[in-house]
Amino acid sequence: MTRFVRMSLFALLILSLSVVIAACGNSNTEETDSEDTTASDDAGSEEAGEVNLYTSRHYETDQALYDAFTEETGIEVNVVEGSGDELIERLNQEGESTEADLFITADAGNLHSASESELLQPVDSDVLAENIPEKFRDADNEWFGLTKRARVIVYDKERVDPSELSTYEALTEPEWEDRIAVRSSSNMYNISLLASFIELNGSEEAAAWAEGIVNNMAIEPQGGDRDQAKAVAAGQADVAIMNTYYIGGMLNSEDEEEVKVAESVGIFFPNQDTTGTHVNISGISMTKHAKNSDAAIQLMEYLSSEASQEEFAAANYEYPVNPNVEVTGLLESWGEFKEQDLNLSVLGENQQEAIRLFDQAAWK
Amino acid sequence: MRLVVRTIKSKLNIWAILSLIFIAIILIPNGLIAVNVFTESNENWQHIKEYLLKEYITNTVILLSFTALFSMMIGVSLAWFVTMFEFPFKRFFKWALILPLAIPPYIGAYAYHGLINYTGIIQSTLRNNFDVTVNQDYFSIMNNQGAIFIFSIFLFPYVYTITKAFLQNQSSSIIENARLLGSSSFETFFRVILPISRAAIVGSVTLVVLEVLNDYGVANYFGIQTFSTAIFRTWYGMKDLDSALKLAGALMFLVIFILLLEKFSRGRRRYSFSTTKVKPIQPKKLRGVKAWLLAGYCFLIFGVAFLIPFTQLLYWAFLTFESVYSSEFIQLIYQSVFIASIASILIVIIALIIGNYTRLHKSLLTSFISRVTTLGYSIPGAAIAISIITIFVALDGYLADLYQTLQMEPVIILRTSLVMLVSAYIIRFLAIGYNAIDAGYEKMGNTYTEASRTLGFSTVKTFFKVDLPMMKPAIFGGFILVFIDVLKELPLTLFLQPFNFATLATQAYKYANDERVHEAALASILIIIVSGIFIFVSHKLLEKEPA
Amino acid sequence: MFVQIKNLQYQYKNAAEPVLKDFSLTIEQGEIITILGESGSGKSTILRLLSGLETPKSGSITINNDVIFGGNHVMPPEKRGVGMVFQDYALFPHMTVEKNIKYGLKKMSRREKQQRMEEMLELINMTSYKNRYPYELSGGQQQRVALARALAPAPSLLIFDEPFSNLDANLQIKIRDELRGILKKTGITSIFVTHDQADAKAIADRVVFIEKGVIKQVGKPEEVLGCASLVMWANS
Repeated sequence: MTRFVRMSLFALLILSLSVVIAACGNSNTEETDSEDTTASDDAGSEEAGEVNLYTSRHYETDQALYDAFTEETGIEVNVVEGSGDELIERLNQEGESTEADLFITADAGNLHSASESELLQPVDSDVLAENIPEKFRDADNEWFGLTKRARVIVYDKERVDPSELSTYEALTEPEWEDRIAVRSSSNMYNISLLASFIELNGSEEAAAWAEGIVNNMAIEPQGGDRDQAKAVAAGQADVAIMNTYYIGGMLNSEDEEEVKVAESVGIFFPNQDTTGTHVNISGISMTKHAKNSDAAIQLMEYLSSEASQEEFAAANYEYPVNPNVEVTGLLESWGEFKEQDLNLSVLGENQQEAIRLFDQAAWK
Repeated sequence: MRLVVRTIKSKLNIWAILSLIFIAIILIPNGLIAVNVFTESNENWQHIKEYLLKEYITNTVILLSFTALFSMMIGVSLAWFVTMFEFPFKRFFKWALILPLAIPPYIGAYAYHGLINYTGIIQSTLRNNFDVTVNQDYFSIMNNQGAIFIFSIFLFPYVYTITKAFLQNQSSSIIENARLLGSSSFETFFRVILPISRAAIVGSVTLVVLEVLNDYGVANYFGIQTFSTAIFRTWYGMKDLDSALKLAGALMFLVIFILLLEKFSRGRRRYSFSTTKVKPIQPKKLRGVKAWLLAGYCFLIFGVAFLIPFTQLLYWAFLTFESVYSSEFIQLIYQSVFIASIASILIVIIALIIGNYTRLHKSLLTSFISRVTTLGYSIPGAAIAISIITIFVALDGYLADLYQTLQMEPVIILRTSLVMLVSAYIIRFLAIGYNAIDAGYEKMGNTYTEASRTLGFSTVKTFFKVDLPMMKPAIFGGFILVFIDVLKELPLTLFLQPFNFATLATQAYKYANDERVHEAALASILIIIVSGIFIFVSHKLLEKEPA
Repeated sequence: MFVQIKNLQYQYKNAAEPVLKDFSLTIEQGEIITILGESGSGKSTILRLLSGLETPKSGSITINNDVIFGGNHVMPPEKRGVGMVFQDYALFPHMTVEKNIKYGLKKMSRREKQQRMEEMLELINMTSYKNRYPYELSGGQQQRVALARALAPAPSLLIFDEPFSNLDANLQIKIRDELRGILKKTGITSIFVTHDQADAKAIADRVVFIEKGVIKQVGKPEEVLGCASLVMWANS
């Protein structure tokens, strides 16, 4: 009998230990909140002063903006930072029980697939409609762009004259053989780029483009966008396909070698006489099962406002979507350009096909 | 019938019950994945088979075999030198050579790429001071060879520590005999040391292989297509969870195959031989050139695997300190250490329970159980994460019902607490803790426990009065290994972190993912320093312990 | 009959044949029995079954009218009151001699424990060693401590697994005489397992010779040993 008692005691110990951790975990989150929040979520927090945010953006200025928002409205902003894909999958798995009210991620393709998976809900807001141009919004108002990013051709200022450059398509010509650097096709930016071509030029031409680029690659796809710029500076390639804001980041790097690389290359906005330069967004959306929707809309509107747009975009040398906000400094010096005229939802719609075309073209 | 009742009665004790519960927890997510392998395949799967599978497999096999080979060569040679010879700075190298374990391979990859790429210190010095521009092809690390290099230098400590521990437990007589019979040191190595430590070497190389299989960070950064990058490409890119799980399942079977291979090669051999005390090996004093050659070799490895990447990170950390540092970092360190400690303690407790059960009741069931502990190590972190979320969402549903019936306010919502993350760590890293604990049990043997039982103590009391105190070194060693792994862990933490929670690893990842490698350095350095302190302290404590 | 072992059967997992077949033996109170046999004869298995570290397939064991094994009933080792001295002594390395000896003493006041411990140390002639750790003792001393530890809780039966195999030859002779003295003084019933005929002869009241799990002969040492040596010689 006592043996049984002892056993039970031992089992109880283990059990209570796990409860302690549970409690620890909770108290830990609360500690950082400095207010009792998490536990009361489900019970209903209409009076609430909080909004829960999943974001794949990681900039100090973002946190500063959230803090400013809290100061202005008294609404606490709780944040989980992760990568876009994983956060979508997490929302997916959590389903109805998710704690997240808002979701911020880069790439319209990601936002679109979140909306396809029925993770988002439409938001009806005049402020958002006014602040954000139509093509950077979902047709059903399920997501809204916050910043724009352009995927351009970067060239070596010495070996390439900008007049040789014209379009993305022209890069598949024989004269560019062994001269192009571009990263792996696993990368979302490339997938969205090809997805836009599928929409604008049709699948066949898009497939031919991918093959043409693979034929003209100077080096195997490797590293990130910054590495493509470095490959150009190092003379391995003459042009690279990459996003503008990485050049911005390198120009402002603490490492002077990176600054030198960025200074040695030029930015060319392709397809100005045809379909326009490929742009993508990072955007915000409200989750389908948001529990703090009023607070969430307030934060969305806040982030699209003129006051925060400048800072929000500038954090990463991106372009603000709010047309009333002037670009200044570096971005201004790169000049204005014609954008692809697409509703960005198509980037998501064509995403899977783009990946297949990449694989068929053996783009690593 | 009587026999059956008796058998059940005699087998169903506290250890069995707890072990079976833990094993079930581990089996559920693995089972979810295994089942998926046999579901019908869709068109994506055809696409994967046609265009990708061959390259995934080739690359994965290349990475695995060469990393296994090199980490083994480095690890075993160092273990041999350090146990058998006396040379300058040996006392330092003995623990310093474990330090590379503190550098997560993906961070090591950032550091090395940063070091030797076009803007790195080497090339820029050559360019700016000597006007030499090198051929980039020779200065690229982002390829298979580079990945093998990175994995080998940051994972060899597994081989080194386990082989060293094994050799130190060997009787000096084996080696002395060989010496008396006229074998040179080299001959002794190949004819005696290698054969007797085969089990330890194979076991530790298996750990390395599993780490490489599960790596996502390095392969993704270098643009190498491996099984685990393929899983994510299928899952996130093609939005095809089914095919992704199929790949994960294939990976899991590959791991099971490797584990079986390890078991067969080990055969009936054991890591330890006897419990009777033997005279420890007396290292041979080396003089002159030979001694300094050994010291030089150790220094070379230490430099390449730790000093160089560490210095690079330190330099970056100084560059970006002002823009990156905030008081938040104190909080980050606290949170990282807190969660790593909790997870490690629980893993050690569970490993102790399962280990005790499997050693006291040798049967088919228990050998199955002890194998299952390794399973979590075999699937990609993100796949574990998915199953865990599914399970916890269901659990919270039950809890909510329970709260409602009891008419009380919800006390705990598991999903938003750290419980979910900790559970995932347990599934993922139980293998590491269990290996250490199991080796400890094996070294201790069963007689002490049996002695205690004939003196009137139950297995539970014996566990606390005899087993636990005697297992101290193993417990400590297991704790440290798990702790360091949790501290470095990325995919699970990213996926399952509660609100406003971050660790040093996720912090480093955040920056690195945006190609701001310099900004990632401070968090990386802190991971390395915290792990380094733990390695140092544990080394000092284990040294004191009378073996 | 103090100890009654009836029809014990035991088979290791994955073994083709049972290691013990139909083993029966009765022992008088205070008697010293030696089980003699070669390695693999099943002699150590008997000890493990008696102490409860393994469970027989069938049969029964009764000690002092308590059924410790039989039918559905399996008494766990800690309840049996069977003391055991292990081949490698198994002294707890993290405890001093004093703590080792006191380990098995339960349901006693602190003073009683101390008294019993001192008593035991005197019995084995090692009073001045109580604060030593096991690794600070010689092989013979370790064995005596192991004996004291097993004797301290006053078990109804004390069993020894190859107690002399780890000692050198001249020590072996001295110790086994000493041991017999101590056992007779305390009047405890004991069983020795050994493969050494000289040991068996020197210490036992009665010798059980066992081969391949079956008792070949039981009797006074001088009766059994001639036959045993013939068989063992033939097999060697």
